[in-house]
Amino acid sequence: MIELNEVTKRYGHSTVLKNITLSIGEPGIYCLLGRNGAGKTTLLKSIAGYQNITSGTIRVCGRKITTSTLDTGVSYIENFARHFNLPVRKLLRIASEVSPDYDCGFAGEMMDRFELEGKKKFSQLSLGMKTMVSTIICLASGRDVILLDEPVLGFDAIMRVEFYDMLAESFQKHPRIIIVSTHIIEEIAKTIQKLIIIDRGSIRFSGTLKSLETKAFCVSGLQGDVEAATRGLNVLGRDTAGGLMTSYIFDRPPEPAGSLEVRPMSLQDFFIQMVGHRGGALR
Amino acid sequence: MTSVFAVVKRLLASNRLSFIITALVVLCATSSGDTVLSNGNYTWLLAVLSPFFIVFYDFPKLMRLGASKRDYFLGCLISYGFLAFCISLVNSLVHLAVDPAYPAQTVINMMDVCGWTENGIAIAGIQQMCFLLLVMVFLHVLLSMQAHWYGWLTDAALAAIICVFTPVAPLRSVLSGFFRVIMLNGSALPHIGVCLLLSAALALAGLAVLKRKTL
Repeated sequence: MIELNEVTKRYGHSTVLKNITLSIGEPGIYCLLGRNGAGKTTLLKSIAGYQNITSGTIRVCGRKITTSTLDTGVSYIENFARHFNLPVRKLLRIASEVSPDYDCGFAGEMMDRFELEGKKKFSQLSLGMKTMVSTIICLASGRDVILLDEPVLGFDAIMRVEFYDMLAESFQKHPRIIIVSTHIIEEIAKTIQKLIIIDRGSIRFSGTLKSLETKAFCVSGLQGDVEAATRGLNVLGRDTAGGLMTSYIFDRPPEPAGSLEVRPMSLQDFFIQMVGHRGGALR
Repeated sequence: MTSVFAVVKRLLASNRLSFIITALVVLCATSSGDTVLSNGNYTWLLAVLSPFFIVFYDFPKLMRLGASKRDYFLGCLISYGFLAFCISLVNSLVHLAVDPAYPAQTVINMMDVCGWTENGIAIAGIQQMCFLLLVMVFLHVLLSMQAHWYGWLTDAALAAIICVFTPVAPLRSVLSGFFRVIMLNGSALPHIGVCLLLSAALALAGLAVLKRKTL
């Protein structure tokens, strides 16, 4: 449904997206991970048609996306989005009027769950509540592609949990492509099905969480044993400390041996290794 | 069309400040002497103020609420048409009902100055509406371009045209000829036709600008 073909975006001399080719066909909740400045927002804004790319093509449901696309079928919300300074209930009503497939029931339910005061004006809301209003508007829009850029910024721990539940419920009700960019990796792992890692403008990984469960491992033990066990395997990175070594592999698990400890790699460790953590004595 | 009308409703509702400023000016403006300006003229202020709010304030917010560029574009045109109609109606009513209340003074209403009232008040109202539509669409396009280099180029070109055409007599006659066609025109049909054609052309230019607009 989303097709990116050799997408490059430059701002002056700086290349933010480098020749990205990516296909997202199946509905699902996708997590877009990347360090600050990796190109996440640029990628999402380009898919939403908020800005043009320098070269390549982006297609959503077969429709070419540029700023010229008058109706993209994509709903995108950025963190700290500013809305009309109106009471929340009125804001949601306007959103329902301008989006033909808007899910009023879902929006109302979420308003109650997050105890959003319908009479309170948007500017009077806390940062977290403002983001929540934006997220509800985006998820209730009924569009086939939903892009949420750092939605949990400003949320406390309870709100984050509620947000992940809301995401899952929204997807269950209306299966479609939902891409969420975030830095809080471990928390979202229970909600997402697929993962996209972007680093310095290039896609480093795109796949299911299941593939991580079966292929991403940490192998720890004496340096010699670890090196021998991981020889020929796809090693993402290594940490060494005092003759001990941890190897991060994305491959079949190595055969068990004397000092070796093989455990599944956490999403956070996988991300850190994918984006080029060099390792060191302190880790 | 429901979403387009929802956009129209929002554009008009968030234009409240323009309505208030215009109403205050219309109600509070006074002039003295034998010749006075009709207060109805000040209703044109709404046509000048509205595009500022619609372009700079409403566009990004409507997009974030999920409106499409298509709905925004159509919504703007309908809003400008509606505003032009309302302004024209109010000024025509002022011209009919309030202006004659100054029997000892000469009251100048732009509808008279432009020669539109020679065709009767109804036709004059339509001429005024078409002219105001042209003004609003022109301002909308000009303001939409300000974020781009070609907007500044257009500003410079317009300033240059005014500066060069005004002091040079043959060019001045071209400039005044242009204003005689779009504004100071007593011939109703050609005037309405020119205003609508220019509005349509400018709306197309506005669509091209909208298509390049980023968020």
